[in-house]
Parts: sequence; structure tokens; C-alpha cells
Amino acid sequence: MKNHKHTILKWNYKVGILSLIVFLSLGSCTNLDEQVFSEITEKSFVATQDDIIALEASAYTPLRYIMGWQGLFDVQEEPGDMFVTPTRPNGWDDGGTYKRMHFHTWNDTQWQPRNTWLTCYKGINNINRVISQIQSGSLPIDAEKADAAVAEMRALRALYYSILIDTHGNVPILSDFSDEIPTQSTRVEVYNFIVGELTEVIPSLSEDVDKSTYGRLNKLGALQILARVYLNAQAYTGTPEWDKCIVACNEIINSGKYSLDPNYADIFKTHNETSPEIVFAVPYDEIYAGGWNAHMKMLSPSHRDVFNMQAQPWGGSSCNPQFIDSYEDGDKRLNETWLIGPQLDADTGLVLFTMVKQMPSIYGSGMYEGFRCRKYQIITGAKSSLSNDFPYFRYTDVLMMKAESLLRTGKSGEAAQLVTQVRMRSFDDLAKATVTGEELMGDTTVKYGTLDNNGNIADPGNQTPVKYGRFLDELGWEFAAEARRRTDMIRFGVYQTKSWYNHTPQGEYTTLFPIGLPELTTNPNLQQNPGY
Amino acid sequence: MSSFNHIRQNRSFSPKLHLLVVFIFSFFISFAQQTISGKVEDGKGMPIPGVTVTEKNVSNGVLTNFDGKYQITTKGDTPSLVFSFLGFKSQEISVNTQSTINVVLEEDLEALSEVVVIGYGTQRRADVTSSVATVKSDDFVQGNVQDAAQLIQGKVAGLSVSTPSGDPTAGAQIMLRGISSISGSSAPLVLVDGVPGSLETVAPEDIASIDVLKDGSATAIYGTRGTNGVIIITTKDAGKVKSPTIDYTSYVSFSSISNKLNFLNADGLRQKYDEGYTFAGANFEDFGSNTDWLDQITRKAVSSVHNIIYRGGDDTSNLTASINYRNNEGIFIKTDNKKYTGRIDVNHSMFDDKLKSNFSVVVSEQQFFTGGDGYSFDPYVYRQALIRNPTEPIRNEDGSWFERDIYFYDNPVGFLKETIGQNRYRNMRFSGSMAYSPIDDLSIKGLFTRKGNSNIRGFYQTKNHVSTTKNGINGYASRGTDDYVGNYSELTVNYNKNIEKHTFTALVGYNYEDNTNEGFYESNRNFPTDAYTYNNIGVGQGLPLGEAGMGSYKNSNKLIAFFSRITYNYDHKYLLMASIRHEGSSRFGADNKWGNFPGVSVGWRANEEDFLKDEKWLDNLKLRAGFGVTGINAGRDYQSLSSLNYNNYFLYNGQWIRELIPSRNANPDLRWEKKEEFNVGLDFDLFGGRLSGSLDYYDRTTKDALYNYDVPVPPNLYGTIMANVAQLNNKGLEASLNTTPIKTDNLIWNSVATFSTNKNKLVSISNEQFQTTNDYFYSGYTGEPIQQSTHIVQVGQPIGDFYGLKSVDITPEGIWLIETPDGQIIPATESSSADRQVLGNGLPKYYASWNNSIKYKNWDLNVNMRGAFSYQILNFPRMFYENPNINYNTLVSAYDKVYGKAVLTDVQRYVSYYIEDGDFLKIDNITLGYTINTKSVDFIKNFRIYASGMNIATITGYSGVDPEVNRIGLAPGNDERDKFPSTKTFTLGVNLTF
Repeated sequence: MKNHKHTILKWNYKVGILSLIVFLSLGSCTNLDEQVFSEITEKSFVATQDDIIALEASAYTPLRYIMGWQGLFDVQEEPGDMFVTPTRPNGWDDGGTYKRMHFHTWNDTQWQPRNTWLTCYKGINNINRVISQIQSGSLPIDAEKADAAVAEMRALRALYYSILIDTHGNVPILSDFSDEIPTQSTRVEVYNFIVGELTEVIPSLSEDVDKSTYGRLNKLGALQILARVYLNAQAYTGTPEWDKCIVACNEIINSGKYSLDPNYADIFKTHNETSPEIVFAVPYDEIYAGGWNAHMKMLSPSHRDVFNMQAQPWGGSSCNPQFIDSYEDGDKRLNETWLIGPQLDADTGLVLFTMVKQMPSIYGSGMYEGFRCRKYQIITGAKSSLSNDFPYFRYTDVLMMKAESLLRTGKSGEAAQLVTQVRMRSFDDLAKATVTGEELMGDTTVKYGTLDNNGNIADPGNQTPVKYGRFLDELGWEFAAEARRRTDMIRFGVYQTKSWYNHTPQGEYTTLFPIGLPELTTNPNLQQNPGY
Repeated sequence: MSSFNHIRQNRSFSPKLHLLVVFIFSFFISFAQQTISGKVEDGKGMPIPGVTVTEKNVSNGVLTNFDGKYQITTKGDTPSLVFSFLGFKSQEISVNTQSTINVVLEEDLEALSEVVVIGYGTQRRADVTSSVATVKSDDFVQGNVQDAAQLIQGKVAGLSVSTPSGDPTAGAQIMLRGISSISGSSAPLVLVDGVPGSLETVAPEDIASIDVLKDGSATAIYGTRGTNGVIIITTKDAGKVKSPTIDYTSYVSFSSISNKLNFLNADGLRQKYDEGYTFAGANFEDFGSNTDWLDQITRKAVSSVHNIIYRGGDDTSNLTASINYRNNEGIFIKTDNKKYTGRIDVNHSMFDDKLKSNFSVVVSEQQFFTGGDGYSFDPYVYRQALIRNPTEPIRNEDGSWFERDIYFYDNPVGFLKETIGQNRYRNMRFSGSMAYSPIDDLSIKGLFTRKGNSNIRGFYQTKNHVSTTKNGINGYASRGTDDYVGNYSELTVNYNKNIEKHTFTALVGYNYEDNTNEGFYESNRNFPTDAYTYNNIGVGQGLPLGEAGMGSYKNSNKLIAFFSRITYNYDHKYLLMASIRHEGSSRFGADNKWGNFPGVSVGWRANEEDFLKDEKWLDNLKLRAGFGVTGINAGRDYQSLSSLNYNNYFLYNGQWIRELIPSRNANPDLRWEKKEEFNVGLDFDLFGGRLSGSLDYYDRTTKDALYNYDVPVPPNLYGTIMANVAQLNNKGLEASLNTTPIKTDNLIWNSVATFSTNKNKLVSISNEQFQTTNDYFYSGYTGEPIQQSTHIVQVGQPIGDFYGLKSVDITPEGIWLIETPDGQIIPATESSSADRQVLGNGLPKYYASWNNSIKYKNWDLNVNMRGAFSYQILNFPRMFYENPNINYNTLVSAYDKVYGKAVLTDVQRYVSYYIEDGDFLKIDNITLGYTINTKSVDFIKNFRIYASGMNIATITGYSGVDPEVNRIGLAPGNDERDKFPSTKTFTLGVNLTF
């Protein structure tokens, strides 16, 4: 018995030590905090002066989607009368996505408009977050700088909304950083929001035009957003605002900060950041800031040897021959915008192949059929991403917006003077450069109607003269491939009524894209746009 | 049988026995008495509790305690003890003058006696109250198996093991009791000798048995990752008192592609040109050659495996050491997988068995060709071989690869041959454990494991690769390395007590686990020569040009748990097990890290009741019921944290600076996904083991299921968030039936049949935090150019529903005619996403298998058959390639009239025409072995040779390569067009024991 007791004692002693060890080890081993190594947690993040810029940067970077895969360029140009992406021997049916864009038969899963929606709201979300951080005082920024920063962010938000009002119209307005599922606003409300915001923040914006404002919105950039929205006010709200557009344009013109670039091609060259007419640029860089691959989508694969490219282009989109035919004799912009005729090997100078104007149909065209866009300089040794900055707003557009507003308010003579001023750099012959008010009030020179496989008009469709159609042509020649054709065509009533290439009109409702199915699915407050 | 009855009599007569003992005691009081003690163990050194120890010819008997120990005082003058226990062969030992008699009982072939591994311990099969299946090495699938899961393919009811890929580096796909988690993971917890590992931690030839814990009451003790079941791998060990042996196993396998898709060959294409077909893209023109592209990139693969295992030891120490080498070739040229595994396992017991220790080391090295940057085979090559124009030559006259300027169209032979790559992995695991028994019924065990693996990768595309010839990269190289380190420790205290008919066990424990992953990656281009490949990466000019890539990462996570379990049984008749685990994961939100996972199960062995006791034909009849809660950890680290990353560049004042942007939509409320499972089961053994089986019914509901949930943009920055939103239910029935229809001296035929059903339903996808307008979301994706989702996941419906346009007819012009959900027939060109409907389901409703093993004299024959029934497959190859209008080569069937009416002129579409029934029955494995008589050769104990075939024949109506397609995730049943085709394998092997 004694022995037994002894065993128990001994055992108790051992267990005691063991339990002690156990509890000691447990005490240190119940900590489940996450250890973070290659991320920065918001909790532990202390912003420095540099980080304020980095945070603001996130508001701008989404804009680089413009010239990217199925970006704003595609949304604005694929449904227009200038670009067609036909099926070619190397593909480009892509599930019919380009045909739907050309025919205006998209539905709520069409990626191009969804991409625009998601990208704009990404920018808006980042803007709202930065504003809330500034206003909550969590960033080391003094009051004066804070005001300027908030004003710039609000102007940029207005820019994103100026895209959304154009593509989707009835979109949610988010003016605060919040998790709440937003409600939908009407297109008129969105219009009022943009105008109200810009009017409010413009006085606080920088008037500087230098390195520090390049690629960012200054006062004049914000004014141009305002002018652009006023220009399209009738399309957006039913109420034209031509005079307000003129006022905004005049303010930019009178600032004297910008002038027409004497050389049209220089506005679009690889190092175009020095162009005197760029009001707001979206900077790209082949190394740092990729994303510009619109040239890859357009050039034919064989163009690799023409430009000694470090990537083989994909060879899809080219120009509708009807638009090419509309150019006037002597307009240098034709050759400055399109790759035409023999294409030479960069090394040997020999003709590799020849670009021809005709493209039989969107269902099947050859590799070298249809002129390709060369407007944005493709330097020798170009990569799959270009370094050209996208001239989102340029001074010519200010002049042309003013001209159009004047034209539409009965001042065609003044309008013609401005248009002539713009045309002068693109014509060697002054007489040819000069247009009259009467000409501008005339019909378009584009021969609308569907084409047969030989390029002849198959069905002319609606042949009603286009009011101020000739001015629309001027916009086309000047702003070809600048991701705006759709907006201009809608404003002139061509988009919804005319036939071109293989396209026939589908009705007024197509002036807005449908809201994406996933967006409708996840946000019960959203109503689909009419007609879809 | 005899031993079984023996025990039963002993137990049932025990009141009388006591009287008898008293009587005899008084009568024979004058005879010499002797006290004998000892321990009873099984062949593996596991103590066997409850063994009846009787003195022969005298009514005197005791039972062993839970450590297998007994003490008996003999009554007779020449006493001899009989040790008997259910399912073990009885042993009789003369006492003579011994005072200690330790006994190792040999297993009788009956299943009931099996010791089942139940997690942190073992249990006799007879006492198990939950659904646990055990497969011993003798019953493993033989042949060239890819990993441990394939060893038990078709052997466990409710465990679906499929091998959809023939990639030599791919493992088997396993799923237990349906899709229980929608976050995508269906991987069970794999424990290798008690430590979390993988199905590839040890070589298949080194495995002694695999236990599968199926229901929640069994897996709740593993709380965390128990939802998809727990697979417990026990490696071969030396056991006790065994003369040293060396086993040598070797085999060589020949694999070939199991089934080829029937694409147009050159003659076939020319015939189409003659028939007036014109094509865009690949088949635009005749290039004059005849090339079988698939043939050019495939081969008959030869693989070999060698395994040597040494086992030996004595009463106190034993050692197991093994070396395994496997060299697997893939059916695509260059693909391979070489693996070396070494393992040493040492057991030692001292202080009268009070202290037992185990030391083990597993080291393995693996090396394989990488056709993709970091992975084995680039499926892009397979796709290119299928879609390439068969009239194209392989090379130009100057020897360079023949290439054309077509989008996503590259010479597959050149693509593969101009790629150089290798991944090499080193895995290491060392563990030590000590168990101390201060008193008989108590054991304290500590275990510590340090695990690690690292890999180094190298990849190079030469200047003749399309990356240069088309895209000007001028030689592309990358190198990368990953490193993983993990600590795992557990501390358990086990207490067993046996008081008359009451048997208790109690367990408490603590578990700690941490895992740290880090890695580095770099890439470069523009090399002056191909000579370095990836071995001198700094030479590339990509670095100064700003075109080199570089990255590194590090992350970590922790799991900590406290757990406890008790079992109780009364007279081996009424059984109870209850457990709870309190576990925390670092991956969840600050307030939601910890969760509780209880489990309880009860059993009733009806055959022990008086009214059945005398039924001689009934050896065992057990009813079981259990309920358990298990959890699923978040799939990735840091999902609950708001964090920022420096990302894209922005031009600021002429300088490019990086933006700072949130990494994700963080969810601070992230918590455990929990599965509640109810299981009832029945086990039976009849006619002396000739007929046995079990039946289980389960009903499992997964709550707070983790899902990368769609959220609206705006207000969210990103379109998804990881959240606990969904609720899922799975119900099913599992049956397995083991029979021995023939058992004679020369001929034994064993047959195991399994059958299982699974019914799956999504209960909800909303919670208080996230409300959706729609009670569904889409999953699966066709890819370009069709660009449609393939499945719908809808509340009230099962996972796996195909959702698309229902094709019913074709216009004379060759355009699909679609039946809309409201019954209208419209051309597909006028259809929209609103016209889609449910077209079938990709998850089998029934699984069955039938495994036969026949032994005749020295011959053995195994035939395994397995099937899955009542499900559909979306045949991607047909959807993409059975269309004469595409820009690439087509299937021969593309020119057949659809519905017998018209050849297709429509674009590629996702329509129901491509959804086929997937039901299949496979003769999966046939193995014929012969054991050579080696009695005349002293040093050889066993010598067997065998031939085996895997994936031999498939009976199915499915027209694709293999009806066994992906079943996991939310888009099951998609037979992807780039899927590495499955293989047919023939193996010749030898087993040799010295």
C-alpha cells in the first residue's frame, strides 16, 4: 500500500512538471495574429508625403484602359462608321464580339461597355477613398494643399462621369466613400452632378501648365470637361447648352496657355509630351506604363518587319473605305492617319505587301485589306505597348467645340473661321484649307449606305441630309481614331439613323449601352437602360 | 469463427463463471498457484485490450486492460493459457515456470478485428461508431499509380477518386461525399503517420494502410480541415519481434494516349477542298505535306519504379528504412517526373515499455521537365497540335520551324522542342515523438515535426521559339524558387480505464501548426546566345532595357487547437464517442478566429444482445449514428485584412511613381465555414466473414460557406469579396458489400462492391451581410471565342447545372434553332442570354465499383471495375472543333449534318447539342500475379511477378476522350478542350522479399 502511494506521489510530481511545461508552451502558442511580410496592412500603414501622390495616382491610372484591350477606344470606334474589325484569315471572329459592335446588336454581357463601367468606377472608388482619407485627416497634408487635392480629385471624378454619362447614361452617383449599395441616377441627374461639381471646383484648381500638371487635371482641363459635357448637353438631357460651351471654350482660349501644334503628326508622336496643344494627356510608357496596345489590334502581323517591331501585331481593325473616300484632295491628314499602299521592309526597303482600301465584308476580309491606323507614331523597334501619350483633351478640340456651338447658334461665319484655322496646318494650299459657313451647314460628304463585297453601295438606307453634316466630317478627319467618333455621330444623329459598311440602323436606344448583367445581378437598385 | 464464439460464451456466462471460480478455488485450494502477467499485442505492436485470457481445462479467465496487459493466477498444476480475441487466431501457451508471458496475436482474416486509425489514436473496428473505411496494402490497386489516392480508387464507398489528367506530375482528383464547399477545395486532410502531409509525401509502395474518416462525427476531432474527410496514411513499419526482411518491388509501365480525338488529317482536308469547302485561318490553303501533329508530340511512354524496404528489430527497438525511385515518362514528348524518396523510421521502447519513442525522417526529391514557365506541360501545345493544318510541314526547307501569321497559332513541335525547363523539389520531414506511461492506464505523448520543401525552377525559350521568331523576345529565361517551412506539434494525454464491463478512454490534446511560404522569381530576355539557357540569366539585356521581371513574396499562417475526446462502451455492446475541438486560424477576422467543432456518435452491437446471440450465422451487427461539426479554413492568407499594395505607375512631375491601391475587398468578418453532418450506418458480418458490409446514410449541411462572392462595382473597388455567404446540403447513401463466394483450399474469390449516391443542393447564397437580387450566379467559362459561362449555381438546385441555349433543330441554312424557356423556337442568331436554361448536370448521382480478387494456387487475379452514372458532360472539343466555319482544323464530324438536316454554318456556340450523357463503366485495372515457389531457395521468402493494365476499357456513350472529367469546383462536367488526355497503362512488376 505504501509502495502504491509512493508511485502516485512520484507520478503526481512528474505530471505536475509536465503540465507546467504544457501550460507554459500553450501560453505562448495561442496567438493567431497574422504576420504580414509582402503586403502593407492598412492598420499599420503610416502615410508619408510621397504616399499622398501614390494614393492620388490610383485615381488616374485606370484611364490607361483607353487604348488597351477593348478599352474606351473600342467602345467609341467599333460602333462608329470609321473602324471595322472583320474576320480575317488569322481569326477575329472572337465569338462575334466585333460584329455585335458593328451591327449595334450587343447585349448585357458585351465586354467592351462593361469594361468601361468597371474601369470608371474603379477610378471613382479610388478618388472617393482618397478624398475621405484627406478629409478625415489621416494623411499628412496641410489644409491649403488638401483643398487643391480634393478639387483635383473631384474634377477627375467628373471626368469619369463624363465617360459614363456618354456610354451608360443612367448610372449611380457616388460622391462619398461608402460601402452602401448605391442607387441609380437619371442621365439628367448625372449631368447636373458633373456640371455642379466642375463649377464648384474649377476656381480651386491649379492654373499651371508645366511638368507638375502634365498628365493631371488643371483648371483648363476641368474647363474642357465642362465644355465637352455642354457640347453634348442636348444628347444627354434634351436641352442644348451651346452658349455655355462657348463660354467654357473661351476661358481656355483666353488663358493663352495652349496653341495649335504647327505639325499635326507631332501631336501623336512617340514623345508627344512637348506638344503645345495637349490640355490633358493620359501618359503611357512602353516600360513603366503599358497598356497601349491598340496598334497591335490594328496593324497586320506582317507590319512587324515594316517597323522592326519587337512583337507581332494581331491584325484586326481597319478603316471603313466609305470614310477614306470622304477625304478631300490635299488633306495631309489622310496619309498622316492611315497606312496606305506599299509597305516597305525596314531593313531592305523592299515592298513587303500593299495595303488596299477595299475590305469585302465583316464576315471575311484579307490580311492587307482595309487601311490601318498610323496616326499614333509607331517607332522602329516598337513593342506590344506604345509610349505615345493619349491626347485626351487637345486645344484643337476647344476650337472645334466653339466652332460647332457657333455654327449651331447661327454664327456659321465665325465657326468657319475657326475651322479654317484648324485646317490650315493640314493643307498646303490656303484656298483648299478655307471653308465657308455655308459649306459647314451642308450635308455630310460620307456616302452612307451598306456596301456589297465589291465596295459598291448595296442598300443606301436613310438618305436624309445630315444637318451640319459637313462639320461632322471635319470632326472625323481631324479627330479620327481619338476614341470619340461614337459621341460625335450621336450628336449629329448619324449613329442611330444611317447605314454604313455592313451596318444598318438599330434605333435610338442604341445610343446608350446596356448595363452589364453582373452589375444588374449584384445591385438590385439598378434598372436596365430602355430598349434592352 | 471459433474464437469468436468462444469469447461470446465466456462473456455471456460470466456470472456463472464467477460462481464456478469460487467453487473451484475452494476445491483446489491445495494446488500450486502461480501469478502470471504480460501483455497482448497485435502484429504491429499495438496493445489489444479485452483479450480473453483463460486457463485451459480450468474455469479461470481474465480480460486484458486497455494497454493489453493482464494478470492471472493459475489454478491448475500444469497450467496452459489460451489467448483469444475476436478476429485473431487463438494462441495456447504452456506456462511452465514463466511469470511473464507476452503474446503477439496473429490476425485472423476477418475484418472485425482490424485496428482502425481514428485520429490521435486507434480503435478496434468493432468499437467504431462512425463511418471509417480501411484499405490495407494487400487490397491496393496495383500498377503505375500516380499517388496514394489512386491506391484506393474504387475501394471506398463515397470517395470518388478520378484521374482526369495523364500529366505525369498530376495527382488524382478526390472528392468525398459530394461538393461540400463551394470555395472550390474538395481536398481532404491527409495525415501521414499522424502529421499533415500530402498524398505524395511517401511513396505508394511504402504505404501499409489507408484509413478514410468519412463522417463528421469521426472528423470533428480534426475540426479544421475535416469537412472533406480525413485520409490517414500509415506507412509500413517493422512491428515487433520480426526477423529482418528486405522487400523489393519493381515495375515497368508502358503508357499511351487512351483515346484520340478524330481531327481531319491531310487527306481528309484535301477532300474537303475538293468538296468545295473554303476556310479562313489555319486551313486556308494546302501546304502540300502530310503531318499527324498529335503523333509528332506524343509517344509511348515507359516508366519504371523501384522500391526497397528494410524492416527489422527486436523487442525494444526496430527500424524501417526504404528507398524509392520512380521515373515516369509522360505521353507527350519531353514530359516526365522523376522522384526519389528515402525514409527511415525508428521505434524504441524502454523502462519496461513505459517510454516509447519514434524518430522518423522522410526525404524526397522530385524533378520534371517544364513545358510551361514553372509547370509540367503547357496545354497550349496540345491545343495547337489538334487545331493545326495537317497539310503544313513541320519545318521549312532551311530547317527552321514552319510558322504562319495567325493569331494564337504556333507550330506545336517547335513550341515544345524549343522549350527547356526543369523544376526540382526537395521535401524533408523529420519528426520525433515520445509517449510516456507513468501508470498503466495513462499515456502522455508529445510529437514534433519540422517540415520543409523547396524548389528551384528554370525555364528557357530558345531563339527558335515563336517567342523570338514571332515576338522578338530574343531568348526568354526565367528562374524561380519557393520555400516552405512548417512546424507541427501536438501534445496528447490518453487515459484508459476498464472497470468490469465499462470501458472508458479519454483524450485531451493541444495542436500547434504554423506554415511559412516565401519565394523569389526573375525573368530576362534578349540573350546573346542560347548556350546558357536559363543558367546565366544576368547576361540577358532585358534588365537594362527594363524588360526583365522580378518578384518575391512571403506569407504565413497558423492553426492552433485544443481538443478532447471520450469513448465509452458497455460490454462492447453499447458504444459512445464524443469529441470537441476548439480551433483557431490566423486567416480569419480578428473576432472570428476561433471555432468549436463538436462530434458525437453512438453504436449498438445488436449481435451481442441475448436475442441474437445464438444466431451462429451472425458474427456482427452494429448500428451507428453520429453527428459532427467540421470546418473549412479560408483558402488563402490575409483575406480578412485591409491592405495596400504599390501597383501601376503614374507620371508625377516627370517621374514614374507607383500608385498605392487596396489589394482586395477585405472582409474583416471572415470566419469559419462549418459543416454539420448527421450519419447513420450499419455494419454486418455474416457466415464467418464470407459476407460483410456496411451501409451509411449521411446528411451534411455546410453553413457560412466561403465563396469569392460577386459584389457590385460600385461601391466596391473589385467585383468579388471572400465571404461566408452560402449554405449547401449533401445527402447520400453509401453501401459496400464484401463477399467471399468461393473459399476452398486452392481457390479463394473475394469480391468487394461499393455503391454510393449523392444529392447536392444549394440552400442559400445570402446572409445578413450580403443580399443578392438574384438567387443564382454563374460559374464555369467556355473561354474564347465563345465567351459564355457554362453553369448556373442556383438556390434550391444542385451544383453542376449546365446553363445555356437548348438547341433542338437546325435551319436549312445551318443555323441553330433554339428552344427558349417559354417554348418558342428561334434561330440562335436571334437568341440572347435570357434564352438560356438548365441543360443537365455535371455531377454523377451514382457511383459504383466492383473489385474482384481471385487466388488460385499460386496465381492471383484482380479485376477492378468502376463507374459513375447519371450525369452529363459538356464536350468542349466538339463545341469548339465540330464546326466547319472555324479558323482552325476541325473534327471530322464537323461536316456531318446536324440533326441529320444541315451542315453547320453558324458560329461556335454553347448549345445543348454538345452536352452528352457521361455514364460510364470502366474496367479500370486487371492484375494477374504469380507467386513463384521459393521453398528451395533459403534466402527468398516471397517472390511474385505480375502484369497489370490500367484504364483498360471504358463502356460509355460519351464521344469524347474520357468520360471521367473534372468533378470538383463549381463547373463540374466540363471536358475542357486543353485537358491533358488520360492514358492507358500496362505494367510488368515483381515483388521480392528476402
